[in-house]
Amino acid sequence: MSVLPMKRVLIVGLKKDRKRILEFLQHEGVIQVEAQNSDDDVFKRQDRSQASAQFRKNADIADSALEILGRHAPEKSGLLDSLNGRKELSREQYETKVLSRDDILRKAQEIVSLDKEYEDSRQEIPKIESRIVALRPWASYDLPLDFEGTKSAAVFTGSLPGGTTLDQAEAMLKEYAPDVDDCEINLISQEPEQTCVFLIVGRDHEEEVREALRKMNFAKPPLESADPVQAGKDLEARREELEKNLTSIDGKIKEYEGDREDLKFLSDYFSLRADKYDVISGLEQSGTVFIVRGWVEKRYSDALEKSLTNKFDCVYEADDPDEKDDPPVALKNNGFVNPVESVVESYSLPNKTEFDPSSLVALFYYFLFGMMLSDAGYGIIMVVACGLLLLKKKHMEPGMRKTMKMFFYCGISTTFWGFMFGSFFGDAVQVIATTFFGRDDITLKPLWFAQLDDPMRMLAFCFLVGIIHLFIGLGALAYNDIRNHQYLDAFYDVVLWYMFVGGCILYLLTLPMMASMLEMNPLSHTVGQIGKWLAIIGFIGVVLTGGRESKNWGKRILKGLYSAYGITSWLSDILSYSRLLALGLATGVIAQVFNKMGSMVATGTGVVGVIAFILIFIIGHILNLGINALGAYVHTNRLEYVEFFGKFYSGGGEKFTPFAQNTKYFKVKEEI
Amino acid sequence: MENLGVFFALAGAVCSALMSGIGSAIGVGKAGQAAAGVVTDDPSKFSKVLILQLLPGTQGIYGLLIAFITLTQIGVMGGSSDISFAKGLLYFAACMPMAWVGLFSAVQQANAAISSISLVNKKPDQFGKSMIFPAMVETYAILALLVSILSIFGIASLNI
Repeated sequence: MSVLPMKRVLIVGLKKDRKRILEFLQHEGVIQVEAQNSDDDVFKRQDRSQASAQFRKNADIADSALEILGRHAPEKSGLLDSLNGRKELSREQYETKVLSRDDILRKAQEIVSLDKEYEDSRQEIPKIESRIVALRPWASYDLPLDFEGTKSAAVFTGSLPGGTTLDQAEAMLKEYAPDVDDCEINLISQEPEQTCVFLIVGRDHEEEVREALRKMNFAKPPLESADPVQAGKDLEARREELEKNLTSIDGKIKEYEGDREDLKFLSDYFSLRADKYDVISGLEQSGTVFIVRGWVEKRYSDALEKSLTNKFDCVYEADDPDEKDDPPVALKNNGFVNPVESVVESYSLPNKTEFDPSSLVALFYYFLFGMMLSDAGYGIIMVVACGLLLLKKKHMEPGMRKTMKMFFYCGISTTFWGFMFGSFFGDAVQVIATTFFGRDDITLKPLWFAQLDDPMRMLAFCFLVGIIHLFIGLGALAYNDIRNHQYLDAFYDVVLWYMFVGGCILYLLTLPMMASMLEMNPLSHTVGQIGKWLAIIGFIGVVLTGGRESKNWGKRILKGLYSAYGITSWLSDILSYSRLLALGLATGVIAQVFNKMGSMVATGTGVVGVIAFILIFIIGHILNLGINALGAYVHTNRLEYVEFFGKFYSGGGEKFTPFAQNTKYFKVKEEI
Repeated sequence: MENLGVFFALAGAVCSALMSGIGSAIGVGKAGQAAAGVVTDDPSKFSKVLILQLLPGTQGIYGLLIAFITLTQIGVMGGSSDISFAKGLLYFAACMPMAWVGLFSAVQQANAAISSISLVNKKPDQFGKSMIFPAMVETYAILALLVSILSIFGIASLNI
């Protein structure tokens, strides 16, 4: 259980080695490089952000080519393939691939431009289709739609609002243009939305008719120069051509399927180089040398020094951090504890005065999770599923592996509590024995007691767990104070509170009301007296010391009283552990609901009933496991973050992020 | 009149499933809209926002739990359903905390979950913390659940 000690390092190398040294450091992945933000006369930074942006752009091209390829030729992958981790690449393979990077980049660009063509064609099709639809009412008209007439006769082609009949149109025309006598209206088609017509009129009356038509809401037809039939055919032809085009581009993109691995490599390769150039931008450099400053884990410092100075002409200096430094934080724990490091990390990493709480968190994490899920069947499923995945998928990424391990241990704890409370897929044993074998005497006896039969006892146990958890949290505060040689703080903030809270609890347990609620015998009077005096001493102590940062005694006492008021937060913290009971019962009862449903269907219906029972059983329990595992996960986190961490932990450390090969698809193995 | 006991007890059970269920349905629905919005931008956040979406769903389950326990206790699921009028009213009262707190806490939890979803959208590394805000609201649903459970078990042994 520890925060890894860090060393502040300074590497001064010759500029001619810069590329190789940086590549070496990136490969080793043990140093966090600190970017410098000031120049002086000798050492200046080089701005390489342009180069780095170019590399990122190339990586993006590779990524989008991969995404396009994935759309046209989906990669065959199983459900669990995402757990396989990155592929390993040997140094030689890496070097050969690097040589062909320009080729691959060209291919990626080709894929991207093919896709652009594809999208253009794809978007054109609906437009053409709507034009085809718009032309349909005009199909029986055999003049071009934009035909405007001959020398002596004008032709108006267009549509009138839906529902207008030819007679109505003629009547309206008469009304709006009474003088016109040489106009002829012909119907092309009549549909609910529009009535398509064409008018022929002598040039003399052209303007009057135009004006009349405007009043009648006459609309021009879709402009197609050819006659509607020909235009329709042309559009159909264009559509077919586009569709053919789509198939052919799709085929062309599919041909690149074999280059998928290369594209993945390209994406990794350029993001690595971009990372490197980002680092270079932050380095101080003179004409001949460059300086790398940063942090290295102490355990790797000597090895790094040796290999660096052996390979290159450079200076390597490592110092322990001093008071002012705030080194980045990396945690190191054994296999039982390290799965919950991510839980601690997602709260906040320990700051430099704090110790790594992972071990304490781990112990209670598994314990509390198990109590909340508390079903042996579900626990076994978790253990087997996580165990198999851990065994089968050797190259799983470390983060994923830790999560799997965490649920593996949570599963063990769940199984344990499940047997303690006699829950195996709820009351499945009893239900199956009764429904199918007519034996209502077979049940799974709880090793301890069944939560449903004795909820008060369970509640008391939950509070006990809570008190232990919280007291250990308080103890952790003392441990931290002692580590930092603040012995008085440990006494004021921890010992006094132990007396205060512990005394109150003891005293409460002597009250008959409390004891009968918790179904136990009240403690003896003497214990009560001890408890009372402990609490009083604790209270006075807290009042006197709670506000000790104030010099003024009046202020100090007031602050002390306020801090003693914190006893109410202890009450709510302890009550908060009642969720252990509530969530435990939720799992058990919902499981019983599904068993009951199954048995109701299965009773007296023979083979069909058995099948129905199995179906209900599987679906129901998967649902229940899912929703309750989620609940247990969320509320375990809550108990750790709010109740437990609230007692001693504030965090605020910055994560150690080494300059390393942060790739998506491959990792390069190197023989050094 | 003598049958009113079981009526009230059943009404209580039904209310707890009904109201908590309504609350959770509204809650999960609202949170789901927010979650879907995040996934449009970045499908890789799916699992994180899914968890946040599901948080207001637990009230419905608690309501179901109370309903089920009550149904078993009053003999609707088999056994004797001979419940006195007073007992029926007591069961009804016992179901009320879960019914009302379930309804309102699910809706409010959804509001917190929606904010947390937008938090995760902007800062995916803060997922652990984002989960805690909605979980805070759930505390009250759990307390109500607890009171309902303890009351229901307590009523069974009362002699009225």
